[in-house]
Amino acid sequence: MATTKRRFSFFNASMYAILTVAAAVVLIPTFWMVSTAFKSNEEVMVSPPAWIPDHPTFDSFIRIWKDYPFLDYFLNSVLVVVASTVITIVFSALAGYGASRFKFRGKGTFLSFLLVTQMFPSIMLLIPFYKVLKTFGLIDSQWGLIVVYIAFAIPMCTWMMLGFFQGIPRELDEAAMIDGCSQIRTFVQIILPLSLPGLAATAIYSFLIGWNEYMFAFILVTTETLKTLPVGIGQLNGYYKVVWNDMMAASIISSLPLIVLFLFMQKYFISSLTAGAVKQ
Amino acid sequence: MLSSKSGFKGIWFILPAVLTLLVLITYPLIYGAYISFFDTNLITKWNFEGFRYYKEIFSNTEFLSRIILTLHYTVWVVAGHFVIGLGLSLILNMKLKGITVFRVILILPWLFPEVVVGLLWKWLFNPLYGLFNSVLMGWGIIDDPVSWLGDEKTAFVAVIVVSIWKGFPMVMMLILAGLQSISEDVYEAAKIDGCNRNKAFRFVTLPALMPVLLVTIILDTVWWFKHFTMIWILTQGGPGNATNVVSIDIFKQAFEFFNFGKASAMAILVFFVCWLMGYGYRRLLGNGDD
Repeated sequence: MATTKRRFSFFNASMYAILTVAAAVVLIPTFWMVSTAFKSNEEVMVSPPAWIPDHPTFDSFIRIWKDYPFLDYFLNSVLVVVASTVITIVFSALAGYGASRFKFRGKGTFLSFLLVTQMFPSIMLLIPFYKVLKTFGLIDSQWGLIVVYIAFAIPMCTWMMLGFFQGIPRELDEAAMIDGCSQIRTFVQIILPLSLPGLAATAIYSFLIGWNEYMFAFILVTTETLKTLPVGIGQLNGYYKVVWNDMMAASIISSLPLIVLFLFMQKYFISSLTAGAVKQ
Repeated sequence: MLSSKSGFKGIWFILPAVLTLLVLITYPLIYGAYISFFDTNLITKWNFEGFRYYKEIFSNTEFLSRIILTLHYTVWVVAGHFVIGLGLSLILNMKLKGITVFRVILILPWLFPEVVVGLLWKWLFNPLYGLFNSVLMGWGIIDDPVSWLGDEKTAFVAVIVVSIWKGFPMVMMLILAGLQSISEDVYEAAKIDGCNRNKAFRFVTLPALMPVLLVTIILDTVWWFKHFTMIWILTQGGPGNATNVVSIDIFKQAFEFFNFGKASAMAILVFFVCWLMGYGYRRLLGNGDD
């Protein structure tokens, strides 16, 4: 008995050791980002580098708003991503509900098509989009990006909503219909309120897709004041003089919304994401 | 039953999504295939070339070598994701104290935008002021600063390391959710039948996890095969062609050399490679019942 217990705690200790190493591999780069953001211009260019800045300063965080159109980038990202997320959620929730509650011809094809879309190299869409948006005068506009991000998010979001609706008993729908609710009222008034966690998780996924997207935003938008955060930050990289502390400050700010969203929603998020991805 | 005569109503629910995807995915894909037959600047010049670009692509080994480089990259990245993701998810699935803290920390890389990850690691790898060289020199592993992203030999490895760092949380999360769906009872039964920890893993966990592993490995392979952003930020495909994976090659072909027809033809071929990989995996690992 005593030996098994000791062996067990040795086992536990080694599990913690592995977790600690893995956490360090994640946290050290993250720490380096934060540390750099608080360094002064002089201290960034010191070799060997200091882990912790001697004179921590908020200068970088102030400069990014003052010296660059960072506020524009930020607001553009918010606008594009919120708009595309709202539309994605409405369409995916409807489609997920439809596919979870009804049989109809082409349903299998529809669901497989959603999976197949994950196999396209998105660069395949970039050239046609570039041309089509150019034809319609939508290049260099936020509408173009909104449209692109909807197309990217709908497939996975529909799978996620489908997985979520399948977990809600059909008896609820049937009871509501017997009470005289129409199909759409049943969906909106009975099922949707029950699916709020799933909707929130799906919204995060859609938000994440748009918030992080770089390639399309880089090509489709050229006006400085219309660019999104990833493109704006990426640009700081290209100039002859690379200002690492400003870039890291901008990186932190652009990462925060997702991290905060995720911390609040992580339980629902992971289960919904996997319900969609795995229960095919 | 609800579904018996509601065939038509179901269509109404999926219609908005279907229309959107038809207009925004199917149409552009077909249009992309169309562009691949033309020598075009997408505005005024549309010279029909037939299969010229496809012939061009196959007539030399350049494209093939890009594909091989990309496969090489993908194999390492996906293998890294699976070793780390499976290992960590097995640990995170145990009932250890404080495990939630580790779970949140380990998901972090996935939450950073790709551009941010690319820039952060570019800074870590900085030859003069980067943390990476400083630590390695402090430990006496290297004597002089190494230009990790500027050297053909190291750039490829560096890009793989960053891609593994960024992508393992996704694999970890998916497998973890798969693990959590296996019921305790099965393990109890296995224990009674005399399975130890290793045997339980082999005969209970792995088979139950197979569908999750299959989907995850297909998605992960395809995602990373077509990866663009981080490599673009880190090296732009260089030095030389050391990290010039297909999506970067296509991007340059289109938006640096304005060779839209050829770039489209390459993209079509990449789609077939992705599709073949998915098909191959399903044949190899599963029974393809989706």
